[in-house]
Amino acid sequence: MAELELDALTKVFQDGDDEVVAVDDVSVEIDDGEFLVVVGPSGCGKSTTLRMVAGLESVTSGRIRLGDRIINEERPQNRDIAMVFQSYALYPHMTVRENMSFGLEESTEMPDDEVRERVEDTAGLMGIEGLLDRRPTELSGGQQQRVALGRAIVRDPEVFLMDEPLSNLDAKLRSQMRTELQRLQEDLGVTTMYVTHDQTEAMTMGDRIAILDGGRLQQVATPLECYHEPANQFVAGFVGEPSMNFFEMRYEEGRLVGDAFEYPLPAEIDEAVAGATDVVLGIRPEAVELVGERDGGHDFPVVVDVVEPMGNENTVYLEFEDTAETLVATTDGMLRITEDERVTARIPEDAIHVFDGTTGEALHNRTVVDEEVASVPTE
Amino acid sequence: MADAEEDASALSSVDLSRVALYGALLAVMAAILTPIEAGLVTSFKTSPGGVSSTLPFAPPTPEFFTLSKWSAALNALGRGMVNSALYAIPATVISAFLGSLAAYGLTQAQWKPRYKAPLLALVVAGIFIPYQAVLVPLSRFWAVYAPLDEWLSFLWALGINDDYVGILELLITHVAYGVPICTVLFRSYYKNMSIEMVESARLDGASLRRVYRRIILPLSTPMFAVVLIYQFTQIWNDLLFALVLVSTESSPAAPVTLILAGLGQSQEGVDFPLRMAGAFIAALPTLAVYVMFGEEFAEGVAS
Amino acid sequence: MRDILRTVRRRLTHDDPSTDGGTITEQRPSPGATQRVRDRLGDRFGSDFVESLPFWLPTFLLMGLFVYGAIIWNLLISLTDYQGFVQPDYTNLDLEMYAQAFTDSSVVSASVNTFLLLIAFTLATLAVGLGLAILVDRHIRFENTFRTIYLLPMSLSFVVTAQFWLWMYNFNNGVVNILLGVVGLGPVDWLGNQSVVLWAVVFALMWQFSGYAMVVYLAGLRAIPTEHYEAAKVDGASTLKMYWRVIVPQLKGSTISASVVLMVFALKAFDFLYSLVSGYRPPAGSDILATKMVREAYSNLNWAYGSAIAIMLFAMALSIIGPYLVYQFRRGNL
Repeated sequence: MAELELDALTKVFQDGDDEVVAVDDVSVEIDDGEFLVVVGPSGCGKSTTLRMVAGLESVTSGRIRLGDRIINEERPQNRDIAMVFQSYALYPHMTVRENMSFGLEESTEMPDDEVRERVEDTAGLMGIEGLLDRRPTELSGGQQQRVALGRAIVRDPEVFLMDEPLSNLDAKLRSQMRTELQRLQEDLGVTTMYVTHDQTEAMTMGDRIAILDGGRLQQVATPLECYHEPANQFVAGFVGEPSMNFFEMRYEEGRLVGDAFEYPLPAEIDEAVAGATDVVLGIRPEAVELVGERDGGHDFPVVVDVVEPMGNENTVYLEFEDTAETLVATTDGMLRITEDERVTARIPEDAIHVFDGTTGEALHNRTVVDEEVASVPTE
Repeated sequence: MADAEEDASALSSVDLSRVALYGALLAVMAAILTPIEAGLVTSFKTSPGGVSSTLPFAPPTPEFFTLSKWSAALNALGRGMVNSALYAIPATVISAFLGSLAAYGLTQAQWKPRYKAPLLALVVAGIFIPYQAVLVPLSRFWAVYAPLDEWLSFLWALGINDDYVGILELLITHVAYGVPICTVLFRSYYKNMSIEMVESARLDGASLRRVYRRIILPLSTPMFAVVLIYQFTQIWNDLLFALVLVSTESSPAAPVTLILAGLGQSQEGVDFPLRMAGAFIAALPTLAVYVMFGEEFAEGVAS
Repeated sequence: MRDILRTVRRRLTHDDPSTDGGTITEQRPSPGATQRVRDRLGDRFGSDFVESLPFWLPTFLLMGLFVYGAIIWNLLISLTDYQGFVQPDYTNLDLEMYAQAFTDSSVVSASVNTFLLLIAFTLATLAVGLGLAILVDRHIRFENTFRTIYLLPMSLSFVVTAQFWLWMYNFNNGVVNILLGVVGLGPVDWLGNQSVVLWAVVFALMWQFSGYAMVVYLAGLRAIPTEHYEAAKVDGASTLKMYWRVIVPQLKGSTISASVVLMVFALKAFDFLYSLVSGYRPPAGSDILATKMVREAYSNLNWAYGSAIAIMLFAMALSIIGPYLVYQFRRGNL
């Protein structure tokens, strides 16, 4: 086992005469045994980053260090890594046993009986010992997934690379595999780099998550840090469902002025924001409260536009009167609320985020209290 | 394929357009089969008597029936059948294998598409070259620059007729002109294979050569069937190279097409029954292949 | 479960991650000269370039020698005066053979014939093929049988089909003249009459290759989603209109690839014409460049002249293949 370090990793693709920067100066250190989830919208460079670590793409500049080796120039087969592909990439003409033995036969001098024993041990671990003599086409999607994982595990590599391994499964199986994969990784203690576009996977599986956008690393932190203390507006908007409400505002002495409403700032936030002119006010939907009566400067009259009942909660789309600005709130599922109703929305001062209007950088993040942490949705 | 229910209702309602459709299909089928049928019945007729006194597409009446044309044709062509097989089979196998290797090196191996594209263009163009454009150099090459008959003189010393050098020349020539189409056929197949699968094998520690051996080759079986069938048909059916490299049908090494092209030709005219019998004998291997592997053949020509 | 893991892991720790054969490049502190060259080539052409060489190089060497080398050599020969049994003289190169060819009326008429054959054969075969494909695609029974029979002639040698058509076109006893006689026409001397022989050949070739065009079009038709047929029906189009306005325009790709292949077959029609007469001189009025070239070179031993005609034929083929390759390249198929 070893730690994996990406240092100023950059990938430039040549597209005719144009240069496309797919990965731009990404630096991140993954500790020995850590589970790092790389997440971002499609085209953000996350798969390219993973493929560079695997050795399937050349590195334009920067370094990849695995333990005490720089592996930039190593061929994929010499890097001591195993990868699980989105399509599983099982060899259709080989049985499960042959699929799992393949890597050991090709990359080691291990005697046949030892290969066999290890394949059987791993199959036992994955609960697929009964499928060893079947071919991939005779397996269900979930079983194929297990075989693909088993094929990576049996090689006992320094690093696991996973490229959206769960995206071909149906929703129920996916959440089941999520937990299982996480437990497996914990048990095996293998450094893992996991690429996904699914933020639920990112939030629930990773020790830390690395968020990429436009080839640039936005933030590397624990899931909760990314959620509550986003480094910038992109991270704030990307993490969380429904995503954070944003309002473009102007900073004026002690308050924020926007098209829809004015927001008075308490002293400590005022201090953090002072100096900026254009800012973005952010508030998570679950932090918005619907209250009976206006009480103070953080309460605003709004009209209910659409209500999406989810059972346990409602997603409510609120409109500020006479403007196009909307505010999304999640409320308790029992709360009876109807469209076109006039209500008062409270944006609590301890829950707001303020971002710089031009750079998007966070100027102020919400205060995290234990009670709030406990209410973060987990699955 | 339509489901049976739909067909049944179509038939019961005596759908006129359906009748017309099948009528047209059968008419075309008759048009396609007529030359072959006429050839077949004629091959059992005596000549000139049977040929002139019966309709060309009617079976021979007993008085004009004969099997002698078939036995004569078999006598004339037997040697040619063996000769053709001697180069057609190895040339088919070798060109298919080379094509598979080349297609693999040009698709699944990771090197820059910018450099692959011109090479591929050369391969594709290579399929469409009219062979006339290479004939004179080809015959000079074999006659002057690669005089196989001198190099192989030890074989002739063993009592093998030195005309058989033509077979070897044909073998190599057909491999050379067959590899472009084989490469293109295999390429279209490999291009649709999962790239992730090959990447996975590379990560598993297999070299390019091992990936070919253990992943690509076993998965190529269906395409090998297609390519082998197509290639065999092409090589067996060729006349031009045989004509240029072996030249006379009286040569002991003459391929079957070369002998057939001159069969039954005399001052008195053409012996049609003999020619028809010869045509069927010469076509027998490709017909057999076609009847057994029609699907693969269709796939080969369609791509 | 923990125990298994521990044993698994223990067993793994002493493993040497060595590789199989010697073909894999190992990075070492001071790479040797070959390794450096290898790396440089890898940087230039891509990581697998060196390793992939043994796979495609034999094919390219073979093709380079026999196809492209031979064409260049042929061009060279066409510039000499090489004929008869002497050796070609490469020191005195000129365009004399081409000048001769352009004024040779038989070459001119062969070129015209080649051109006519090419166009007529390709258009007729495509039209028949498309018609057959549409018929076969209409959910018929015994589809496989029909398809197999339609494609059957394609599996036959030109030498074989030439025998069949020689008999079909026979003046006294041929099927064609007998059928025409039934409706009171003919008889026509199909292979002897200069003004009809070319069309007789076109018809025979069409007979042989319409099945091929059908297979290509059928694949094209099957690639069109059923929704398009249904949408056209819902929009109120008649069957004829549906095919003409919705389906046929989508078969452009099939048409292009089928025509290229058919034209190349037409350029190679030598085998057929040679076999009709068992000799180098095809029936008068059906001489094409392919037959003319072989006759000049191998019958008259005018090697240089034959080569020049071959280059003209090659130029004709190139004018078909060139645009096709560009088209394929633009669509990203290369």
